[in-house]
Amino acid sequence: MKRSSIYLSILLLFGVAITVLAQPEISPERKQAIDSLALEKVKDLGKYISIIGNKDTPFSEANRVIDRALELFAEGSQMGVSSINRKEIKYYGIREYFQRLMALNYDRVRIEWFNIEYISDLVRQPDGRYVGVITVYQRFTGESDDGLKYVDTTKKDITVYVERKQTQIQGRIIGFWDVLLGDIRVTETKPG
Amino acid sequence: MRFTISVVIVQFVCAIGSAQDIGSYLGDESFMYAETKQINQFFRRFNSEEDLEGKRIYEGNPNYRSKEFRSNYIEMLFDRQNGDITKEIKDEFIAEVTDESNPSFLDYYGGRWFAEVDTKFTYQGQSRTVVLFLQLEKENLGIKWVINNVYFYPFTKLFYTDSTAFAKFLHPMSHELDFMNLIKVFREPETVEYYFDEDYKPDFRTLFLYEIKKGDLVFETVEKVSFHFFQLNDWYFQLNEFNRQGYNTGWLISNLSKIPEEQKSMLLKYIYYEN
Amino acid sequence: MKSLHKILILIFIVVAGTGEFSCKSQKKIAAEQAAAAEARKIAKAKADLEELLSDNTGLTLDEKESRLKVIKDMNIEDAEVKELIVKVDEKLKREREALMAKERAEKLAREREEQLRREGTEPKGLNEYFSLIANSTNLATSNRYIGEALGLFASEDTPVLIIVSKSGNIVDYDRPTTIRRYLEYLKDQKVVRNEIENVVYDANGKITELELIKK
Repeated sequence: MKRSSIYLSILLLFGVAITVLAQPEISPERKQAIDSLALEKVKDLGKYISIIGNKDTPFSEANRVIDRALELFAEGSQMGVSSINRKEIKYYGIREYFQRLMALNYDRVRIEWFNIEYISDLVRQPDGRYVGVITVYQRFTGESDDGLKYVDTTKKDITVYVERKQTQIQGRIIGFWDVLLGDIRVTETKPG
Repeated sequence: MRFTISVVIVQFVCAIGSAQDIGSYLGDESFMYAETKQINQFFRRFNSEEDLEGKRIYEGNPNYRSKEFRSNYIEMLFDRQNGDITKEIKDEFIAEVTDESNPSFLDYYGGRWFAEVDTKFTYQGQSRTVVLFLQLEKENLGIKWVINNVYFYPFTKLFYTDSTAFAKFLHPMSHELDFMNLIKVFREPETVEYYFDEDYKPDFRTLFLYEIKKGDLVFETVEKVSFHFFQLNDWYFQLNEFNRQGYNTGWLISNLSKIPEEQKSMLLKYIYYEN
Repeated sequence: MKSLHKILILIFIVVAGTGEFSCKSQKKIAAEQAAAAEARKIAKAKADLEELLSDNTGLTLDEKESRLKVIKDMNIEDAEVKELIVKVDEKLKREREALMAKERAEKLAREREEQLRREGTEPKGLNEYFSLIANSTNLATSNRYIGEALGLFASEDTPVLIIVSKSGNIVDYDRPTTIRRYLEYLKDQKVVRNEIENVVYDANGKITELELIKK
C-alpha cells in the first residue's frame, strides 16, 4: 500500500508514465546496459537487507530503508524459502520478510554476499514486459551474547521485470527502463 | 588465450575429483561457479554460449558453440553419482551432440521439453501430492509456461478399476425399451465409465479444475521440480537439481536414454502416468 | 531626355499590344503559374513555421530566429501564415528569455563561486557532497551533508535523471528519481555509481534538474 502510494506520487510528479508497447529488437549493447541496471537493483537490495538486518541500525532508519527496499519490488512479490531439512517452499510477503529480518532475536547479525552473480537471458512475456532471473548467494551469521551462533548460506534466485516506459520531465519526453524485482526463491545450500 | 582457457576448463573438470585446485583459483565462490545455477545456465553450458565466469558469449567469439568447450561442459552437466548413466552411453551422447558435421544444440524456444512439478494440495482435509506438467507456449510476441497435464492419484482410482467390467454394457436392444435400463448404469457410480464409447479418456485437467473451483483442492506449496527433454533427436534426458556439497551440483542430467523418435510417445505416456 | 521617355512608352505599348494580340491563353497560363507559385510559397512557409513550433528542427535558437525572419520578410498575405508567425514569434521569444535567464544564472553561479574562492571558503561542489555522503560512516554526519547538499537545489523534489546507456540517438534512463531520494540512496548504498552529466540552474542559481550518467 505504502509502496504503491509512493510510486504513484513519483508518477504524478513526473507526469503519467506510458508503456511503450511496440518495442524494436534491443541491441546487445543496450541489453548489457539493462543487465547491469538489473544487477545494480539486486545489489541495492543486498545492501538494504544488510542495513535492515544490522542490529545497530536505529528503528526509524530501518523502517525508512524497508520502504526503500520495497520500492524495488513489483506489487505482490513473495519470498519462497526452503531449507536443507525442509525442501518444500514456505511463502512470505516481501514486507513480512523484511520485518522478520529486523526483529530477529540475535545480538549480532552479519549478512555477507558472495562475489558471484548469474544473470539469465531476458525473455519477453505475452504482455510485452521482459523477465529474467539473477542468482546471488548470501551468508547469514547470527550470534547471541550467550555464544549461540547460527550460520547459513542461501542461494537467491531473484525475478527481474524490465519494461520500457516514457515519462515527461519538464516538458521533455524521457524513455526509461523500469526495472522491478519480483518473487525471490531462497534455497539453503551446502557450501564447499 | 584459447589455450589458457582450455587449461582452466581442464582444471574445472579435474576439480570435480580434486576440489582444491579450483578452490585456490576461484576462492570461496568456486563451488558456486561450478554449480549449474539455473536451467538457463544448463542451456548455455550445453551449447557453450557462456564463459567460465558465466558471462554470455556471442557469435564471433571463438569459444561460442565450440566443440572442445561443449565436450568438456556437457561432461560436467551429468550427475556423477548416478551409476545408471554408464560411461559408454555418456560418451556416445556427447560425441553425437558435438559431432562437427551435425551438432545439436538445445533451444529454449524449440519446444519438446517440459517441466514436471510436484505440488502439495489440501484434499478432503489431507495434504496430497498433485503432479503438474508445464510447457512453454508462445503468445503475442512473448512466451509463457502453461499447465498442459495433471496427475492426481485419487483421480486414477475413479476410473476403470473394476475387474468384472466385461459385463458392463447397455445391450443392443435397449432402444426398444426407451433405454429404461439406464437406471442400472447409474445405480453403480464406480463403473459408469464402462458404458462410454471406446475413445473416451478421462481428462484429469478438467477434473482437477472442477475440484479447484469447488474449493475441494487448495494449493499449499511446491515440493519438487524436474525437467524432461525430448528435443534432441533419438535422445531423452531428465534434469534434476542437486543441492549437495562439491562441484557436481545444481541442475544436472539425472537420466539419459537413447530412444528412437517413434518410441518417444511411449516414454511420454509413462512420464504422464498414463500406463 | 523627354524623347527617350516617349520612346520607352511607345515600346511598352507595342510590346503589351502584341502580347495581347498574339495569344490570350498564354497570359492565362502565366497567371495560373503565378497563383500556383504563391500557393507553394504559402504551403512551404506554413510547413516551416509548423516545424519551428514542433521543436523537432534540431536548430539552434539563432538559426530558428533567422529562419523566422526570412519567412516574415516574404510578407505573405495569408491569415494562417500570419497566425503561425505570431505563435512562432512568441515561442522563440520565450526560448530566448529562458536562454538568457540560464546564462544569467550560470554567470551568477560562476561569480558566486569565484567570490567564495577569493574569500578562501570554497563551497563544496555536488561531486564532493556525493562522495562525502556515500563515504560517511556516521548517520548524523551523512544526514547533515544531505541537508547541506539539498541547499544547492531549487527543491528536494528536483528531478534526477540517470542515463543508463547511449547508443546512437537512443538515450536510455533509469526510473527517474528526486534529489532527496538520490542522496539517501547514496547514504544507504555507500557507493557513487554515477557521474554528473548535466546541471540546469534557475535564475537564483539553484539546481532545477540534474542529469547523471553511469560510470
